[in-house]
Amino acid sequence: MTTIAHAGRQRRAHARPSRRDPFAATPLTKAALLFTIFLSVFPLYWMVVIASRTTAQAVDVPPPLLPGGNLGENIARVFATEDAHFVTGMTNSLIVSSTVTLSVVAISTLAGFAFARLRFRGRKLLLGSILLTMMVPIQQMGIVPLYQLMVNLEWTGTLQAVILPFLLNGFGVFLMTQYTEQAVPMELVEAARVDGASTMRIYWNVVLPAVRPGMAVLALQTFMLNWNEFMWPLIVLTPDNPTVQTSIAFLTGQHTTDYALIFTGTALSVLPLLVVFIVFGRQIVGGLMEGAVKA
Amino acid sequence: MMINKRRGRLAAAAVVMATTLGMTAACGGGGEETAGGGSSSAPAEKITLTLQTFGGGTNFGYKAAVEKWNAEHPNIQVKYNNLTPDFENTYWPQMLNWLQAGKGAGDVIGIDEGGMGLAKARPQFFTDLSQYGLLNRQNDFPAWKWENGINAEGKLFALGTDVGGMSVCYRKDLFEKAGLPTDREEVAKLWPTWDDFIATGQKFQEKVTDVKFVDGLNTWFNVVLSQEAAKNGNISYYTKDNQLAVETNPAVKAAFDFAVKVKQAGISAKLRNFQDPWLAGMRKGAFATVGCPGWMLGVVQGTVTEDGKNADAGKGQWDVATVPGGSGNWGGSWLAVPKQTKHPKEAAELLNYLTSPEAQLMAFKEGGNLPSTIPAQDSPELQNAVNEWFSNAPIGKIFGPSVKSLPPIYLGEKHSQTKAEVENVILGMDDGSIPVDQAWQRFISEAKKVAEG
Amino acid sequence: MSLNVDTGRVRRAPTPPRGSRHAGRKPPGSGLLARFDLRVTPYVLISPYFLLFAVFGFFPLAFTLWTSFQKYELAGEARFTGLDNYVKLMGDADFWNAVVNTVGIFILSTIPQLILALLLANALNKRIRGRLFFRLGVLIPLVTSVVAVAVVFTQLYGRDYGMINWVLGFFGVDNIAWQNEKWSSWLAIATMVDWRWTGYNAIIYLAAMQTIPKDLYEAASIDGATPRRQFWQITVPMLRPVIIFTVFVSTIGGLTLFAEPVLFNNGTMSGGSTGQFQTVAMYIVEKGFRQFEYGYAATVAWMLFVLILIGVLLNYSLVRRIGGGR
Repeated sequence: MTTIAHAGRQRRAHARPSRRDPFAATPLTKAALLFTIFLSVFPLYWMVVIASRTTAQAVDVPPPLLPGGNLGENIARVFATEDAHFVTGMTNSLIVSSTVTLSVVAISTLAGFAFARLRFRGRKLLLGSILLTMMVPIQQMGIVPLYQLMVNLEWTGTLQAVILPFLLNGFGVFLMTQYTEQAVPMELVEAARVDGASTMRIYWNVVLPAVRPGMAVLALQTFMLNWNEFMWPLIVLTPDNPTVQTSIAFLTGQHTTDYALIFTGTALSVLPLLVVFIVFGRQIVGGLMEGAVKA
Repeated sequence: MMINKRRGRLAAAAVVMATTLGMTAACGGGGEETAGGGSSSAPAEKITLTLQTFGGGTNFGYKAAVEKWNAEHPNIQVKYNNLTPDFENTYWPQMLNWLQAGKGAGDVIGIDEGGMGLAKARPQFFTDLSQYGLLNRQNDFPAWKWENGINAEGKLFALGTDVGGMSVCYRKDLFEKAGLPTDREEVAKLWPTWDDFIATGQKFQEKVTDVKFVDGLNTWFNVVLSQEAAKNGNISYYTKDNQLAVETNPAVKAAFDFAVKVKQAGISAKLRNFQDPWLAGMRKGAFATVGCPGWMLGVVQGTVTEDGKNADAGKGQWDVATVPGGSGNWGGSWLAVPKQTKHPKEAAELLNYLTSPEAQLMAFKEGGNLPSTIPAQDSPELQNAVNEWFSNAPIGKIFGPSVKSLPPIYLGEKHSQTKAEVENVILGMDDGSIPVDQAWQRFISEAKKVAEG
Repeated sequence: MSLNVDTGRVRRAPTPPRGSRHAGRKPPGSGLLARFDLRVTPYVLISPYFLLFAVFGFFPLAFTLWTSFQKYELAGEARFTGLDNYVKLMGDADFWNAVVNTVGIFILSTIPQLILALLLANALNKRIRGRLFFRLGVLIPLVTSVVAVAVVFTQLYGRDYGMINWVLGFFGVDNIAWQNEKWSSWLAIATMVDWRWTGYNAIIYLAAMQTIPKDLYEAASIDGATPRRQFWQITVPMLRPVIIFTVFVSTIGGLTLFAEPVLFNNGTMSGGSTGQFQTVAMYIVEKGFRQFEYGYAATVAWMLFVLILIGVLLNYSLVRRIGGGR
């Protein structure tokens, strides 16, 4: 991919009219981009190849490069493999990630609004303390006491054990503070006040509509980070009530060399996000990019 | 970039989606079994018991036995979950987490010999089986197997499943390719001693280059350790008063030295036993021999046949020969009922059934797991057993004579953790990341680290 | 998502939901209630965060500190041992090995990742047909779950039957046992991290690039600056705030790396036979949840925090210098 480094050289002797337009892509840039896309997609493609083959073929040398005809059978096997609790894992992950996302977005927009557009004593100090906590990977650092807490509450193996510690997201507050500062002019808040709106009403009617794109970015990131959380669920959940990530991990543990089964489960676990991504691709890219420059 | 309407809608859609999903939270999740209420031997309500085991291939060999139980007990259905091939690194630590948390462990769980020291020292984790009348099983078991199931408080908490035994599983086709004899009697004659075994490996390697003679150092290290332990006071990494013995027990050094010899002979496929590439290598034929306690037959057969999905895969390719250096007792397990079970009575009943001579013989048939009960060991079914898949090897003749005299090896409370750490050194030596001349030093220091904790 | 708090760019003002027709209306609830609203509501709004922080942030951290002064037995008593764990940690070769691995993998993954992302963003910033296709294409790894990535890549990196060794075989390279050496395992793990995150960073950089006024480039062109020179002299310095942000996020992510190296080795915490790729996060789990030395695991956890602190500060001061210390 280092070829991209040279992509900027449009002024080759035989450059076409694009010579006047330094912002047009050269064939070299295009080739480099296509190669990047190939690298991005290949592992996913290959995952489907193995998922559609038999286990014996998965370790063939040379490796299979085209899909086979066993996909249906393998999918059926994944769902029939009771001890993997695959469906439970998918459902759990949707529940956990959605709940966390919803709460993080709610908590962050509320606090973001307060920090960005309200005046109160200790504002700077409190905001600073949140910035500090952003540097603390609490779920990793506090893993021992959090685990003991869950044991004492008899919450190991339950979904609240993987939801509650993740509701805390300093990054979200920071992001929404930044975003609100950009998207909601102070005059607007003051005008609403003069209008007699209460703080909550301002939040609901003025702030929320304005910060929606920021919320979308935060929601997307929170959802994905949570969907991919592995360490904590691995410790605190049990195989009969897993998240999708631990379900796949247990599946690889239980059916070590049944690659077709493992890869099919893995492919299925990727599918929901992939579908959302392809359907909403334009909006996701747009939202991400907008959120990135705004905050 | 301007805010546009579409993005706003996206956010709204996301929130709606999240809310809908959030609402399903009320119905999803949980996964708790409803308690069966009063526990009688034939509960009115249907209950499900979970049986958790470990091991590769057919592992505990309980498929047939569990099917039979489920057919006979419509109200007590058993889910048989083999969690992972790896006891020390994965199964046991996870199990200890669950035992400690009071949630996650099955109703009946398998414990490898290496975990028994710790299990005995933690009576709070397990149900007292004497409450359910299992003391009457004492006469079924050899004294050592029985006594190891009695915990620090003098309570019976576990009954034995299988014992080790020792043999060599080998690939006939690969032996033929190397110009070696393939008949099991003649193969046994190739290696009266371990040095002969290595010499055979070198001969093999002269002819065959793409396949290695042995799977990896670790399997053979354990084979020799189990043999040598029997000659050195029946201890392994710890003395009977739980002092670290890696430096003082000659058995450990002897096994280590053998591993070094295998390494230096260049006959190892460098695969770590019970892990993914090892199992794949077994299926693809990356090595010609593997050290085979009884239960290992099931690991090989189960792996090659993909848990019986291709029952004829590799059939007649493998055979079983006697091992150099005499019998050994590597492996062998117990079953216990964690205190957290909601159905201790039914679980104890299941445990009683699975450790019965009848079920043990079924497991022996399924996975080669050598029975630990005396009636099963004495039965003609075992003594005359032939394993069809392993080229009709007379496994009754191979394992039968020694099975009753297998020595009980004392393993200590921290055996499992110690084993995990020192085996890393053996593996490091195998894959070349630890130089041979530094390996012993490191072996000792790793063991000390665990022992001193 | 930059770290500079006030960029001063005020965006267009959304129309207020209430028109001026209501302007004359008397504000309802004036007096006590309104004052209460002004004074107290801000605290109400931020309180959910701080309440959660107290329970799931402050408590675990404080308790981790307390635990780190103790020695635990599995399901047994804890003993107060003061600074013993810390003393032991300082001389614990395994811990330092984990630190070296973590930092090594972090450097090996983050630097190429961010540079590639920059170059990729630059390429994506060109006028090209099928813009959306390319943007989606580079972003697709992001929606692949971390376990899926690890499972697939571990298979690709298989010693005997892996595709990467098969391809390398054409160039006369013998099968590499990727897990066995530090360099190879680090490289393999770094590729997993990079595969997932490079596109994401590229899109963020791209977004920022598009806010750079084009006339800056035009002026530079007239002055005779080559595109490459423009890239390093204009693009990169202008992106500095965004780069700082991505470095910050990568630092925290990189120093707490866990799933990839764990799954690269059959789900075990040892990170290879000699701990070639055991990270600090894995060491915490190994100590705490495999060997049940809770106290010691807590000690390691605090050191992880120190490591992150150092990492963030170091990176911040490094990146700040990008583009001639503007």
